Amino acid sequence: MLTCQSLSDDAAAYMDASLPAPRRLRIKAHLLFCPACRRYLQQLKIAMGLARHAATEPPPPEVEERLVSMFRQARRQDPPG
Amino acid sequence: MHADLSLARKLSAGDAEAFRSLVRAQHHRLILLATGFTQSRAIAEEVVQDAWVVVMENIDAYEGRSALSAWIAGIVVNKARARARKEQRMISFEAMADADGPAIAPEKFAADGHWADGMPAWEVVTPERLLGARQLLRKVAEALEGLPPAQRVAVLLRDVEGLEPAEICRQLDISEVNLRVLLHRARNRLREAADEDLRIK
Repeated sequence: MLTCQSLSDDAAAYMDASLPAPRRLRIKAHLLFCPACRRYLQQLKIAMGLARHAATEPPPPEVEERLVSMFRQARRQDPPG
Repeated sequence: MHADLSLARKLSAGDAEAFRSLVRAQHHRLILLATGFTQSRAIAEEVVQDAWVVVMENIDAYEGRSALSAWIAGIVVNKARARARKEQRMISFEAMADADGPAIAPEKFAADGHWADGMPAWEVVTPERLLGARQLLRKVAEALEGLPPAQRVAVLLRDVEGLEPAEICRQLDISEVNLRVLLHRARNRLREAADEDLRIK
């Protein structure tokens, strides 16, 4: 019988669909009867989504302007003004 | 991918404001990615600037086979690895997958292997909830930045930039088993960071 602890060891592989079919089926069967593990996997998925939102701090203005200026030169455009 | 090809065409045509938007969206996480290899923030900033120059000069070569952000992340990985090699700061991602303790503390499980606390539910995370969730996003950002380098690189490439596992393994020269270990540990740490704010009390 698969335990929650055992399922948690395979969570990353399960979410990336990289488990062999028999193991995947055992996990699916466990999830049918274990709301705690269903919540665990859902929370992992939410955390992964939050990481996408969290890593969006804008660069310092001077860095941004330097990169844009380099871009204009690289694409042979004159800076405005 | 259609949107990425459209953006790439704008960049090819010299649209500086399109480039500015791209930099605003991606620069910080590219720095986080580069520090996973270089350890030094200053060197990571040089690496990412060099990667942006490659993007500027080679955007015509982007064919839309992957997301534009993933293409750019791949350039950063190549540059960062080369720089780390040059600075003799290379870390073994394989070794880092073996280090560290279990991804989840054993005391989180009861003796019978079930979750000790029953895995309490979270509040529903809607887009509207996220708009005002500065504290939550700050906690997750801190957790992301505080991850061991190899875990941070793995979760940035897989879960933020969306690269396929096989491509990540090729870029990092690690096995799929080790990638899964790194992702497992990183995702659990991020979950724990969010749990503090989202757990229904």
